[in-house]
Formats: sequence, C-alpha cells, structure tokens
Amino acid sequence: MSVTVYEIVGVLSAVIAVLMLGSKNLPLQVSMFSVQIWLISGETAYFAYQYNHAEFYVVALTLLMQRAIIVPRFLDWLVRRIEVNLDPGMILPAPLTMHFSILLFGLSFFVGQYLPAPDPHTNIVIATATASISHLFSGIVMMLTRRLALSQIIGFLTIENGVYLFAFTQTNGLPLLIEMAVFVDILGAVMIGGVLVFSIKRSFEHIDVSQLTDLKH
Amino acid sequence: MNDLQTTLLLVAALIPLAVAILMYVVKDAKLAGRLVMLSSWFQLALLLYLTMPLFAGLTEKLLISKDFFLAPLDAGFVVLTLLVAAAAFTHGSIFYERELQEEQAPTSGNIRLNYACAVLFVLAMCGVYFCKNLGYLWVCVESTTLLSAPLVYFSRTKHALEATWKYLIICSVGISFALLGTLFIFASSQHGAVPGGSLRFDELVESAGKLDAKLLRFGFIFCLLGYGTKCGMFPLHGWLPDAHSEAPAPSSALLSGSLLNCALFAIFQIGSIALASGSGLAFLIALWGGTVTVVAASLFLIRQHALKRLFAYSSIENVGVMLMAIGLNVPWLFLFQAVNHSISKVSLFLLSGNIVQATGKKGLAEQSGVMASAPAWGILLALSVFAATGAPPFGTFLSELLVLVKAFESNHSINAVLLLFAISLSFIVVCMHVGRVLLGAKSPQFDYFRPIASSIIPLGLVLLSLCLGLMVGPVTLGALSNFYKSMLTSEVVFPVAAVLSNASTAPLESSL
Repeated sequence: MSVTVYEIVGVLSAVIAVLMLGSKNLPLQVSMFSVQIWLISGETAYFAYQYNHAEFYVVALTLLMQRAIIVPRFLDWLVRRIEVNLDPGMILPAPLTMHFSILLFGLSFFVGQYLPAPDPHTNIVIATATASISHLFSGIVMMLTRRLALSQIIGFLTIENGVYLFAFTQTNGLPLLIEMAVFVDILGAVMIGGVLVFSIKRSFEHIDVSQLTDLKH
Repeated sequence: MNDLQTTLLLVAALIPLAVAILMYVVKDAKLAGRLVMLSSWFQLALLLYLTMPLFAGLTEKLLISKDFFLAPLDAGFVVLTLLVAAAAFTHGSIFYERELQEEQAPTSGNIRLNYACAVLFVLAMCGVYFCKNLGYLWVCVESTTLLSAPLVYFSRTKHALEATWKYLIICSVGISFALLGTLFIFASSQHGAVPGGSLRFDELVESAGKLDAKLLRFGFIFCLLGYGTKCGMFPLHGWLPDAHSEAPAPSSALLSGSLLNCALFAIFQIGSIALASGSGLAFLIALWGGTVTVVAASLFLIRQHALKRLFAYSSIENVGVMLMAIGLNVPWLFLFQAVNHSISKVSLFLLSGNIVQATGKKGLAEQSGVMASAPAWGILLALSVFAATGAPPFGTFLSELLVLVKAFESNHSINAVLLLFAISLSFIVVCMHVGRVLLGAKSPQFDYFRPIASSIIPLGLVLLSLCLGLMVGPVTLGALSNFYKSMLTSEVVFPVAAVLSNASTAPLESSL
C-alpha cells in the first residue's frame, strides 16, 4: 500500500502539534506552529497542482500569509513585549501532556476509522482524518493544561489547524468565499486575543489565566 | 424582491456600516448616542416595512439570493433583534450620559468605539437570520463574538477583562466545534446526496434522506456543542454570567435579548436538517439539553449575590425553555418564547443598569431600598421580574405554559415535570432576591438620575410584554401559528386560549 503526500504531511503536522505540548518555550511553540502551517499550506498547493484547482492556490497562499507569517510575527512580537518566555503549565508537566497527547493520537486513529472515506476520486485517504482529529486533541490539551493566555491562543490556533485539515481532507475544502471569511474571523479572534493578553499583563502584571477567578467569588 | 425592496434592504445593511464609520468622525459622545439611536429606529422601521408582506402571508420569502433570504420565522427574529437594539440604544444614550459624570468616567473614544462595535454587532446578528448557508451562518455567529467582545470590555476594569477573556476564548473554541460540525454536515452531503456537496439549508433539507446518517449525527452534535456554548447551554455556560454582568447595561441587554436567540436559531436550523433526514434524535437531544439547562439554571439562581448575575442566570434558564421549544419542534413557540424573554430581559437589564449606576454597587445586599428611593424604577423592576419569570398575565407565562402543555402532549412528561419544578423554583428565587433590592429604607446616596427619561424604555417593554400576554389568545397565537400551519397542533393552542380568556376561539380558528 503506497503512502500519499497528504498522509505524510498531515501526520507530520500532527506530530509537530504533539511535540509542541512537550515544550514550555513560547517562541519555540510559535516557530513549531509556523512550520505546521508551511506543511499544511504546501499540502494545499500540491492538491491545487495535482487536481488543477486554481482556487486552492488562493487558499494555500492566504493560509501561508495569515498563519505562517502574520500570526507568528504578531505572537513573537507579543512574547517580546510582555517578556514572558516560559509557560510552566498546570495540572500536568509538559512531558506528561506530550505523552498523553500521543495516546490521543492513537485514539484519533481509532476514531478516524469510523468516518466514511471521502471523495474516492482523490488520493486523500482515511488516515488523514487521524491527523486532523489529533490536531484537535492536541489543541484542546494545550488549552486545558497551560497557564498562560498566549498558550491558550496557540492552542486555539492548533484546533483551527485541525478543523482546516479536516475540511481539506474530508470535504475537499469549503467554498472559497466561506473559507476566506473563516480565515478573516480567525485572524480577528487572534488579534483581539492578543490585545487582551496585553491588557491582562498591564492590569494583573501576569498573563496566568488560571488566576483569573475573581468573578467566581 | 423588487427594486425598491432591494434598495431598502441595502440601505438597512449600509446604515450600520455608515454609523460605525461616523463614530470616528463625530467626537461628541452624546451626539454619537443620538445618531445611533435614530439609525436603529430607522432600521427597525425599514425592516418592518420590508417584512410586512411576510407577516401578512402575501409572500413566502424575502429573497436576496439562494444563500440569503428571509422566511417568516427569520423575519420575526430580525424584527425582534432590531427592536431590542433600538430599545438598548435609546436607553443607552441616557446610560452613557450618566457614565460620563462618573469619577472614573469612560472617555468619549471608548463610548464611540462601543457604539461602533454595537451597531456592527447588531448587523452580524441580523445576518445570522438571513444566512441560509451553514458556512455563512458560522461566519456571522463568529463575527458576533468578535464584535461583542469590546462591548464586554467597556469599563476596562480587571473584572471586565477577565469576563472578556473568558467570553472570547470559550466562545471561539466552542464556535470552532460548530465549524467542525458544519464540515461533518457538508461531508454528509458529499456521499451521493448533492453532487459536490452543499451547505445550503434548502438543498440539505430536500436531500436529507440521502445524507450520510452517521456524519449528519456527528455534525449535529458538534454544532449543538458549538452553538450551545454560544447560547449558554448547561454545562457550557461558563462565560455567560460573567460577560452579561460585566458589560454595561445596554450591552448586557443586547447580549441577553438578541445574541442568545441567534445561537438558538442556528441550533434550530441544523436540527431541522437532522429531522428532515428522519432522525428525531437531534431534537430529542435539544429537548433534554434544554431541560437540564432550565433545572441547572434555576438551582444556580439560589446562590446569587449580584443583580446582573441573577438576571444572567435567568437568561440561561430561558435559553433552556427555548431549547425545549426547539426540541418539541414547535418553531413559532420558540419565536414566541424568544420574543417574551427578550422584551422582559432587556427591560430588566436596563433597569439593573440604572440601579447599579444610582448606587454605585453591584451586590444585591448593597442595593436595597429601590422602591423607596426610586419608586418608578422599583415598580418597573417588580413588573419586569414578573414578566421575565413567567407570572401571569405577561407573555412569558403563556409561552412557558404552552411549552409545558406541548411537552405533556408529546409524551415527554418527565421533561414537563422538571420544567414545572424549575420555573417555579426560579420564580420564587428571583422574586426573593429582587424583593431584597426593592424593599428597605431609602438610601441618601441613591442618585435618582433622570427618572422619567430612564423609565420610558423599560415601561414600553413592560407594556409590550403585558399586551403579548393579554392579546395572545385570539391575536398573537393566530398570527404566529399562521407561519407554521402545518406544524401547529391546534389542541395545544385552543385549550390555553380558552383557559386564559373566556374569549371565543373563533378569531383564532379563522386565522388558522
């Protein structure tokens, strides 16, 4: 059985998402996220080339511009400005969350098998579902086990990568106009999130969201 | 749509954009407030004119394109959204005028940014009802989150920041799951139902029988999780009490009176696709989700210490009732409950804003003596509480009663009993808490600010709720049920109408 480019790239990206959980270093996480996007947008461009779908070039380019260039640069700038480089995490230490995420990768494979195969005319096979579901799990784990507001944003973006991969591999992508609108919305969420991170740092002198519990009392 | 209608609709859509731009030009916050107020009433009048043929049954759709049109139910929600917005903005102009007199007054820029985001937020909410494509629907719902986050952060305090952060993150992640659900539904249509797949509601409903059942089920569950987060369904409601209590009162009114309806409407639309495919599971899940939400919210209400948080939990309770109406597959009842809840809750939030401003405190214990200090607000608050908690003769009483009757009729007795328990409990608890605020000695520090002007909108809303309750037998239910003749079970309507007012059911019968 031959392995397709889509499987290799999807799984590689999912592995990077798992590795991100093993690191406490925020700039490294941002770089890893950026690599993920290069892989995913490359995969999209390859699909556009293979099946001669011009609109996927547009999607790949927008994805690259937005999530591999604008968003990482914005996050890097944010990390420098708030002068916080490490997320100590909570509940579980970073290596353990990574191992937990590996288990979830296995679970993703199990779940992926239950999904019906996508369009049989493409080379995209069911294993790619594993990669997208694994992204979702990794993003959720990151949001649940990290303390800092910035990590929450990176976790959210990882979930969005999973959703994009799912759309791309299981449905051959959303219609172009909708896909673009989704990108704009996500960029808006990240930008507003970034502004709030700044405000949290200024008001609380930290960006530990696990301490934002005043309203519960 | 003819040319005139197209032009008017375009004008209605462009007004908020123009007003948002004007907020950067007009430097005076008071003038900005009046501009927003006037534009909102003008928008409401335009939309009422445009949707009149739909309400009168002269046309079935207000069609813009295959992806964007209004059916009667959607038109009802659009008008409700614009009514809520007009009420909130009108009261808002007085509210922010008072805010400007505070020691730590917001800047004019803050207020204008708040107005700009608010008008675009209302536009996005109206967009939700126009969208007949799951993809655009998702985009509009996510846009409502982004545009309303600055409204929650208005006061720039630590608490507001905490509430905004939770709101943005929880809702954005929730909505990501709704997008995943949308993709599942899209995928379900690609297995022979629609060539190339479709996200359009009408195509999905038409080909519902051919959709991949497993993927559709996954799709509905993820959409319920996603949009359920947005509407505050238990246990995904974590953001709601914080955001509603920390936002300024007019924004809380918008969030509670119109935003929750948007998310519920999305759940209803997607549930309809699942129902058309022959699976009743989706609506059953919605019914139980609603029941659990009502019960949980009524229990949460017991231990509340702040007025706006109390009303926020009351909103969650009402979301539960609306989810139950969706689960029972009675769309007009969903609209009726939404109208009643929105009207009464907007009044409550606006009055609570007055009281918080007058006392400078948020806690229930620190706000006592409202009736003695501000009789007009006190009376209106008492009436609004009765309206919101479902006391007769207000409209909410009737809609909750109809949900109960319908639940019993469709053999969901457990849900009905739980609903009865929950709404009784919440009535007692809310009245008890608000009673503490109303009674007590007159406070010398109480700032009874512009008592007449600040009571007009709540008074209008209370009267509207009262009219809906009193006129509901022969008129309102008849008009609402006209939308959904085929879905209407007359056995539900007639006994209730007869019990309420010994009036003849002939007008209702003829309207059916």
